[in-house]
Amino acid sequence: MTTQTAGRVLLEMKGIGKSFPGVKALEGVNLSIREGQVHALLGENGAGKSTLIKILSGAYTRDEGEIFFDGQLADIKAPADAEHLGISTIYQEFNLAPNMTIAENIFLGHLPTKAGTIDWATVKKRSRELLDSLEVDLSVDALTGSLSVAQQQMVEIAKALNRNTRILVMDEPSAVLSERDIENLFAVVRRLQASGIGIIYISHRLREIFELADEVTVLKDGRYVDTKQVADVNMEQLVNLMIGRDLEDVYPKRHGEPGEVVLEVSHLAQAHLAKDVSFQLRACEIVGFAGITGSGRTEVARVIFGADKPTAGEMKLYGKPFRPRSPRDAINQGVALVTEDRKRQGLLLKLQVYFNTTVSGLDRLTSFGVLRLQDEMTLVQQWIKNLRIKTPSPEFMVVNMSGGNQQKVILARWLSLGIKVFIMDEPTRGIDVGSKSEIYQTMADLAEQGVAIIMISSELPEVLGMSDRVMVMREGRMVKELSRAEASEEEIMLYAVGHEEVAS
Amino acid sequence: MSSVQSVAPARPNFLKMLLGSPILGPVAALLMASIFFAVMSPRFLSGPNFSLILQQVMVVGVLAIGQTLVIITTGIDLSNGMVMALSGVLMASFAAQKGLNPLLAVLLSLVVAMAFGLLNGGLVTGIGLPAFIVTLGTMNIAYALTRIYTTSTITNLPRELTFLGETFNIGGTAIANGTVLMLGLYVITWFVLKYTPAGRSVYAVGDNIEAARLAGINTKRVLLGVYTFAGLSYGIAALLQVARTGVGDPQAGQTSNLDSITAVVLGGTSLFGGRGSIVGTLIGALIVGVFRNGLQLLGVESTYQVLITGVLVIAAVSVDQLTHRK
Repeated sequence: MTTQTAGRVLLEMKGIGKSFPGVKALEGVNLSIREGQVHALLGENGAGKSTLIKILSGAYTRDEGEIFFDGQLADIKAPADAEHLGISTIYQEFNLAPNMTIAENIFLGHLPTKAGTIDWATVKKRSRELLDSLEVDLSVDALTGSLSVAQQQMVEIAKALNRNTRILVMDEPSAVLSERDIENLFAVVRRLQASGIGIIYISHRLREIFELADEVTVLKDGRYVDTKQVADVNMEQLVNLMIGRDLEDVYPKRHGEPGEVVLEVSHLAQAHLAKDVSFQLRACEIVGFAGITGSGRTEVARVIFGADKPTAGEMKLYGKPFRPRSPRDAINQGVALVTEDRKRQGLLLKLQVYFNTTVSGLDRLTSFGVLRLQDEMTLVQQWIKNLRIKTPSPEFMVVNMSGGNQQKVILARWLSLGIKVFIMDEPTRGIDVGSKSEIYQTMADLAEQGVAIIMISSELPEVLGMSDRVMVMREGRMVKELSRAEASEEEIMLYAVGHEEVAS
Repeated sequence: MSSVQSVAPARPNFLKMLLGSPILGPVAALLMASIFFAVMSPRFLSGPNFSLILQQVMVVGVLAIGQTLVIITTGIDLSNGMVMALSGVLMASFAAQKGLNPLLAVLLSLVVAMAFGLLNGGLVTGIGLPAFIVTLGTMNIAYALTRIYTTSTITNLPRELTFLGETFNIGGTAIANGTVLMLGLYVITWFVLKYTPAGRSVYAVGDNIEAARLAGINTKRVLLGVYTFAGLSYGIAALLQVARTGVGDPQAGQTSNLDSITAVVLGGTSLFGGRGSIVGTLIGALIVGVFRNGLQLLGVESTYQVLITGVLVIAAVSVDQLTHRK
């Protein structure tokens, strides 16, 4: 597939640099794309990939460096400049008007006119042609709001093609898709490639890069690391370039034996989302909760944390009846929840690192009703150091941090309270490899110290790498418990989707 | 101090603090406006005139305290002027017409104002109605109740009700008791927001109410507390209003809701919640006061003063938006 002599160089970015207050986001980054090439951009979260493509698309302006397009110096200062050159970007969050039709979206902002009125005939005809070229079988009159995520993505691609795109930037396009949709996306990408479009493909999934890309450029900590022909490297080498260490070290080794029963859940139900769920959780152990999205894992977690009321069943904490009336009540009894959606349910995004760290334990920092700000700052700085949270200062707003560092702030919040039962819902979702392994290490340390951990995860390698036991949920029920020895990806999936479906 | 690694406790550096502070803009605007009027009018820069400005802003200033807290929690309170009018009429009537002990009359009216706050908070948290709608409703209810109670101005108030309008002298400048009360309330609110868990909860709820709940904050209690405290501040504003004018006026507070929002916004508090400062609000109220006073000294008609206030609000929010954009 790889053709070193692929088309001529279309875009060249040289020595790109960009600073934000307190952070040097990019420094000396190079990127060169040829016609008809799929070029993967690889790096951990916070490595600078998003900043780089935002500079290319005109959303940010660069502080340093030069951009050449077609051999000409191109000064991209605004999104219109990039569009004019034929650079289109499809972000993870689509830019579609949900109450408009597919055709209207494809022509949004560029509606052709004929005698002063919109030329709907051309709009529909051209939209049809674009959808056909992508082999999308949808009516051009369908509202985009009614489409699946994969279909919306195709509309975004059609929109880009309609603007005579020569470079298409795709920011983690597969992150939101199912396996089948990903195959379809790949086919489309290959067709675009064949038509001479240069594609910048951002993904965390290394497998995809080997399947799709010709060349890969790796960034780390805002710096350019290297550009390689995909044919010349293997997965280990890429990981090494990305994080500067090997993959085997990601899951820490643990030796502790499970201790006493900490939490006992019997016949728990929550509306129609969780039914008759029973299990025990011991000190010093990590129990993986596997299952597909919507299988009831998050619902069980929320009940244990007091965020939702159970409709049936009972719980015991250290042998005593446990019925948390609110998250506060659960926290006071030593139970914490790291929520699945960090930004909506975990962090106070526009508030500072120190605020987010101590918000759940302010009573410990209060004397006679007054906060001891000095003690608070000492505590926060201690946790920044312990968890190696990358932040210019405790006063930094968490919204400006990378996913991994944001997650560490949440961990600091709970760890500073000395909790006993730790429920972590997708603890490493959207987090770079480096922070991931640090979070795994923190989990292992906690288990060694006697904390009981429930880890809800949809990433099977993570479930297998971290869990002492795996509980599999399906359609609100706990369908199987697997020991570490019994558990394998196949075995877990078998129970997670159900025998019937596997058979068919 | 020898080790490069050690993190020295930040020395209080006033200039640095001010430069990184969210109230930098409002403070700069206040200073520039003051300098402008000082140059234009010789009468502006004097103790008595400053004392007058404080007296002119004290009613809106106290209303704006409650408004600030409500806005930090992403709410808005349209009812405050009407609640103040009702509370003021009740306290004047109880004391002057019904022969109630004046202090008891004040206390009862404060309770009425707080009850309105509690009602606002209850409807916002209990039914989950938008604050705009709830307070639009209670604004009309309070207005109607006031008019049902009386349509005439209540006079001959006992001295207890006008005490806050009286003045004392410092170095030849007469200072109204009410302005001291206003400044005291600002100090207390500032302290609570900065130094207590309750103050933190207000910001947390304003940033993201669901995340705040899952962090262990009793968000309903926080909102009820904020609206009830806001109600109390409207009751105190009523006391100041009555003391300043010497009458119980059913027509009072007609534009106070928007005036208080103006002060909050000029002070740099975000209408999207989670970000805001009570000191900023005081400065915002003073900016309006300085402009009105200065323009008056220059002989500008009051209608034009309102016009300029309008321009000021738009300019302030525009600057705020532009500086907070990436």
